[in-house]
Amino acid sequence: MVLFDPLVILLVIAGLYMAWNIGANDLANAMGTSVGSGALSIKQVIIVAAVFEFAGAVFFGKRVTSTIAKGIVPIDSISLLDSHLVAIGMLAAVLAAGFWITLATFYNLPVSTTHSIVGAVLGFGLIAAFNGIIAFGDIQWGVLIKIVGSWLVSPLLGALLAFLIFSLIRYFILQKTDDPYNIEKKFVGLQIMTACYIAFAHGSNDVANAVGPLYAGLHALELAGLTIPLWVMLVGGFGMILGLATWGYRVIETIGTKITELTPTRGFSAEFATASVVVLHSFSSLPISTTHTLVGSVIGVGLAGGLAAVDLSVIWKIIVSWIVTVPVAALTSALVFTALMGIGI
Amino acid sequence: MIKKEYIRSVLNIFASSPFKPLGMHANKGGEAVRKLSEAMHAYCEGDMQRVEELNREIDAIEHEADVLKQTIRSELSSSIMLPVHANDLLSFLKPQDSISDDAQEASYWLTLRRFEASEDIRKGFIELMDKTLKTVEMYEKLVDTLSELLETSFSKRDVEETLALVVEVEEMEHQVDVVEKELMKKVFMEEESLGGAGVYHLSRLITEIGNIADKSEHAADRLRTMVMRR
Repeated sequence: MVLFDPLVILLVIAGLYMAWNIGANDLANAMGTSVGSGALSIKQVIIVAAVFEFAGAVFFGKRVTSTIAKGIVPIDSISLLDSHLVAIGMLAAVLAAGFWITLATFYNLPVSTTHSIVGAVLGFGLIAAFNGIIAFGDIQWGVLIKIVGSWLVSPLLGALLAFLIFSLIRYFILQKTDDPYNIEKKFVGLQIMTACYIAFAHGSNDVANAVGPLYAGLHALELAGLTIPLWVMLVGGFGMILGLATWGYRVIETIGTKITELTPTRGFSAEFATASVVVLHSFSSLPISTTHTLVGSVIGVGLAGGLAAVDLSVIWKIIVSWIVTVPVAALTSALVFTALMGIGI
Repeated sequence: MIKKEYIRSVLNIFASSPFKPLGMHANKGGEAVRKLSEAMHAYCEGDMQRVEELNREIDAIEHEADVLKQTIRSELSSSIMLPVHANDLLSFLKPQDSISDDAQEASYWLTLRRFEASEDIRKGFIELMDKTLKTVEMYEKLVDTLSELLETSFSKRDVEETLALVVEVEEMEHQVDVVEKELMKKVFMEEESLGGAGVYHLSRLITEIGNIADKSEHAADRLRTMVMRR
């Protein structure tokens, strides 16, 4: 069975590692808001996250996965030359992204797994072009510009949507009540729904960061056709839940205790806005950062007067992480690819 | 974030709210004035030992208030977005901080000299202290409404409630002013029996206590500006 091709096994392991990281940190970030507001306990949030993240990944994750696998680098023209090049390149990409994410996480930098994998895949495309395997013009620059554009648009869209939602809640509900604390209690139920929604949205978009390269490799080796095999999505979903269960719960705890400011009405607004923006992008096959969108949404709630204190200095950290991540991931990916070719895999 | 953990989060976007320590800080002022009122009663009864004791307690409260004030200030960096103007918040924190400062000052003056005036003046002091304490307690109630204001994100009704309390504080401060002037007159009418030092001491005491109510009114006024200019 060719599925046991060592390259495929390596791609699965590297993909699982990426998925673990996504579950341990990004998913935890998305879910932490529900714990912070007291809508869900840690145990409940883990169950909700596991079920809906998995559902999002398996049932709605294929569009973005296709973009990561085939949308940026023309793998079909590379595999015409040598199908192993694609598998090696994608392995290099996922290793580079995983390495960068690990490093960034150790230094607590708000780096996005999405940006890392997009940068890393681009790095593979660039080194392929540099070696004359494809032309520089063959890289899907149009798609890439759309992706990078969506990184700018998604937090802004999150902010706008959250601003509108919270303003409506504020105008029609909070300002008309005698007992705001009772309103908050009623929003707990709604926030449980948005917790499911955000987990689903996150799964549908971020699973691609882990299994996009795996699918690309399988496709090039003719182990997968035009549709993504179910087991690939299962691997992604499983890896992310594993990350949540083995480490993410601690991140949720840390975050949840820090953000008690986010009451259910505020949490609902931020989560609903974030999840909607992310699902919209999953539908449009665009890989974006859920966490950065969430930050935009929180700022939106803050702008609508919903939060006691918002620290905007985070915006700069995010912008810097954008600017650094793509080139660093691309360069690392190109170097790893060259090294892998050098040792003659 | 001193402790390095394997965590990648941007949720330090949630800065710590200055409103909670702000409420605690207001209560420190209230606490100091309650102690001062106790000290005043002890003073009028000639219990100087108790006055000394309370003076030390007020010193400690004033110090706690200072620490809170510094915490609030240090956490309000320019990148923090609040539902009110940060400058308004700081300019209302300042007079609020003076409440415990002035209580400390008044309490210090109590320790300097024994009470040796007429029953009439004694009653005047008790009344002045009483009205001042009521003003400060009304002020505490006013600051308490801030948390509700934040909860409903400044609903019209809650804003009106808050503004109504500002007017109450102002009204009570005015009453303190009236008592203060009356008492000052009485002190000077008894200048022969009190002597120069006695008159100076009591008049200074009246001024210090009056200042407490003034600062509460001032802080209430700034709080109104903060809520309205939002």
